[in-house]
Amino acid sequence: MKKKDKILVKICVGTSCFVQGGADLLLYNDFLNPELLDKFEFEGCSCLDACKRVDNATGDETRAPFVMVNGKLHGNMNPEKLNKLLTDELK
Amino acid sequence: MLELNNQYTRLKRRVHAMVLKSFFNGTLEEDIDKIPFWIIPKDTCPSRCCIYKERAMVRYRIMAFMGINIEIDDDELKPLSEYYKEVMQNVIPAAPVITTIGTACSSCPHDQYLISDACRGCIARPCYANCPKDAIYFEKGKAHINQELCIRCGKCMDVCPFHSVVHIPVPCEAACPVGAIKKDENGIVNIDYKKCISCGKCTRSCPFGAIVERSSLFTTLKYLQGDDKVVAMIAPAIDGQFPGTLAQIKQSLLLAGFDEVVEVSEGAAVTATNEAKEIVERLENGEPYMTTSCCPSYMELVNRHLPFLKEKRSDSLSPMGYIAEMVKKREPNAKTVFIGPCLAKRLEGIRLKTVDGVINFSELAALFMAKDIDVREVEATDMGDTKEFEDCREFALTEGVAGCVVHRLQEGQEIKPMFINGLDAKTFRGMKIWPKRAPAADLVEVMICEGGCINGPGTIVSPKLALKLRGGNMSAPAKAFKK
Repeated sequence: MKKKDKILVKICVGTSCFVQGGADLLLYNDFLNPELLDKFEFEGCSCLDACKRVDNATGDETRAPFVMVNGKLHGNMNPEKLNKLLTDELK
Repeated sequence: MLELNNQYTRLKRRVHAMVLKSFFNGTLEEDIDKIPFWIIPKDTCPSRCCIYKERAMVRYRIMAFMGINIEIDDDELKPLSEYYKEVMQNVIPAAPVITTIGTACSSCPHDQYLISDACRGCIARPCYANCPKDAIYFEKGKAHINQELCIRCGKCMDVCPFHSVVHIPVPCEAACPVGAIKKDENGIVNIDYKKCISCGKCTRSCPFGAIVERSSLFTTLKYLQGDDKVVAMIAPAIDGQFPGTLAQIKQSLLLAGFDEVVEVSEGAAVTATNEAKEIVERLENGEPYMTTSCCPSYMELVNRHLPFLKEKRSDSLSPMGYIAEMVKKREPNAKTVFIGPCLAKRLEGIRLKTVDGVINFSELAALFMAKDIDVREVEATDMGDTKEFEDCREFALTEGVAGCVVHRLQEGQEIKPMFINGLDAKTFRGMKIWPKRAPAADLVEVMICEGGCINGPGTIVSPKLALKLRGGNMSAPAKAFKK
């Protein structure tokens, strides 16, 4: 698969996401299903401002840490959820 | 121990950041009693019995964050705003550094072995045959354990072909290396502070968050508001804890209100030099071995449990001790605040007159969050000339201290190091027999946290990732740090 065909996964490494578990996501090489690794391209990105927009929101999905997959924002991420999210994304 | 980042730690960080945000807005006194309601609004799905208990727990976390000793000073009728006023007016005593929230404790039953439904009632019955206390009996064809006879040796678990035996530990008791945690008559956690070495392992082990650190961050916040210069002394372990280089972390601290930032590694260089001199002298005098002295939890361990090691540990000050001395010599009126991963450092901070405050990385993270400081976006500042002590940033890792000491020996001198990498009950038992059987080494480096300070109770990032991020080495998750 050529690089440009890969789906872009942005992992937010703004302080707020990073310290609330986003850091763990940077070890994606260790926890993701190996098959997913060549279908996606990963990069750390600056604060997506998602945490500020939803400051007083209460839903679990609207909390740090955030990732953006193919332009869509997903909150309250953890390694297991990211695995599932990316698997679903390929379906 | 639990994973570093879980539901509980994330909740804790949200609470801390929210408290600090109000603090810097100047509205904390009016907000503080509302924060439990903001964190747990009425449509929340509770993890505990009900949202009211969840809110009560948030209230206790705020109290611990303000440094209140919940075991002694808990008054349910007193609003948090009253506590806050007292905290701002009085000096908060820093010890003990840990406190327990009795109502959060799930009063876990004693650690036990149970036989689950997976038991097939086989006829070989290895559990029955191997139990040294005849504690296993059969009822309706299935094995059971008589808890009164069971000595919890675990042999039945090892031999069951169906893995039907489960061991249910008490997480806090299992985590405590020195047996300082016991239950009271109601099964609620009770810490024997005479035995406690403040390693903080229990605070990271309780899945209910019933054992918490009494923060002393508010002491530091008061310094930041005051007129005196405040100097942040950053521990070597800070590198890799935030999404940026050491130079960016330094700049972030300046933005957060500290007037100056110094690296504790500079003090570590003095410690290493002194210990290198000391070990050679001691060996010449015929002493069998010397231990390092920079881990404050180890110092507590020696004072409280292994007094024979008092003469064996190095007389050098810890890196924090030396750096604080240097700062105070330069500027006697400056307030010195140590920022590290460690709980026990707070006790050392009380002992040393040169140290005015101790906070940890988790609290610093909340401070950055509350002030909207994005470490990664901050312009890197000048670290100054760090050549003399750069290698001492390794003090944060196991084998790093001994490594720096060996590095500072004169030519022709040689010592054999040994490493105590993390203390658990077994290692502790091993150390107790040292008077009879001395360790087969010249220099014993002791770190109570496995892996070194980067695995301390006040860290944010798993040691594995921290190792990758250290040294400004962003190459490991290369793409991850592309702008």
